[in-house]
Amino acid sequence: MTRLARFEKSVLPHLDAAYNLARWLTRNDHDAQDVVQDAFLRAFRLFEGMRGSDARPWLLAIVRNAGYSWLEKNRPGDVVALDDAAPLSSDIETVGHAAPAETNPEVILLQSANRKLVNQALEELPVGYREVLVMREIEDLSYKEIAAIAGVPIGTVMSRLARGRELLRRVIEVRMRKAS
Amino acid sequence: MRMIPTNDSAGDPMIARDATYHRAPDELRERVRMSLAAAHHADRAPRLARTFGLAAAFATVALVSWNVALMTAQPSADDLRAREIVTAHVRSLMGAGHLNDVASSDRHTVKPWFAGKLDFAPPVQDAAAAGFELTGGRLDYVDGRAVAALTYRSRQHVVNLFVWPVAGARDAEPVALSRQGYALLHWVRGGMEYWAVTDMASAQLAPLAEALKGSAP
Repeated sequence: MTRLARFEKSVLPHLDAAYNLARWLTRNDHDAQDVVQDAFLRAFRLFEGMRGSDARPWLLAIVRNAGYSWLEKNRPGDVVALDDAAPLSSDIETVGHAAPAETNPEVILLQSANRKLVNQALEELPVGYREVLVMREIEDLSYKEIAAIAGVPIGTVMSRLARGRELLRRVIEVRMRKAS
Repeated sequence: MRMIPTNDSAGDPMIARDATYHRAPDELRERVRMSLAAAHHADRAPRLARTFGLAAAFATVALVSWNVALMTAQPSADDLRAREIVTAHVRSLMGAGHLNDVASSDRHTVKPWFAGKLDFAPPVQDAAAAGFELTGGRLDYVDGRAVAALTYRSRQHVVNLFVWPVAGARDAEPVALSRQGYALLHWVRGGMEYWAVTDMASAQLAPLAEALKGSAP
């Protein structure tokens, strides 16, 4: 089997996971596609060095790197360092004040409102919280895998998850109050 | 106001339930496959240069330049063959019944059909895993002889794969050509000459060559 065939068999099946992470990092379809294509080319070059049998976390680490490189180049304002020790109140100031895209109360009452609300609130979180929530809650990765992908200790993953959930809840509360 | 679900240590059901899992669009899947195939082929070229060293690379450049000079003067054998292949491809698409003499997606139906009609047994392989569905085969006439034409379908595109034996030919990696807007891929394997032609982008043909290589005839 050629290297390409082996790669297509073990790595390509994780295209959805790669796209989901890239889409949540860039918050845009078109940019996510560019990031994923770039990441797959990088992954193909690094393929011989892949360790372990599970290609998904390995690929997602490359997607995350490609995503951050893209953000640093195109939207440097998105890449904010997180102060994992500071009280959470300092973070909410940066997220709670963004103008909600949808403030029509009737829309909020529709069945799709929850979905929309959660998606919008999640997009509004700083990327450092957003990515751990996406990897844990949507992609269902373990703490250990997330720690390896994001290059931080497991304790940091857990605290960012807790803070991310808390922030998300506050953003949703703020939006619902504005809507009602 | 609706109550917001409280957090628990097992995770946050609200996110898992309500946040979107963004699935990769088909166009991205296609784009990734194409760029991987291109990278795969690009990787092979430098390896060759490294093996033979810089001197050989210079010699190759000189040889290629010489060949280019010759080619501009008169069409090469491959060039003539490419024209023949494109002509046969176009003819096969002109009207119903031109494409297949035996229409089947089962290689065990297509392969025996050729028995007794050709003086060789063409390898008939399935390439569905690579996105090329076998649709049948027919006899055609290329390079001054009767050849096997196998047909595949990749989405809405028809691919003709011409196969015939060449005595003493050495295996050759796929080479992509383009003629009159048609993409061609040419390789030699196991004493058989293969020419694939389609109206898709040439990079999209690469997986077919890979797939046919991977499975035993």
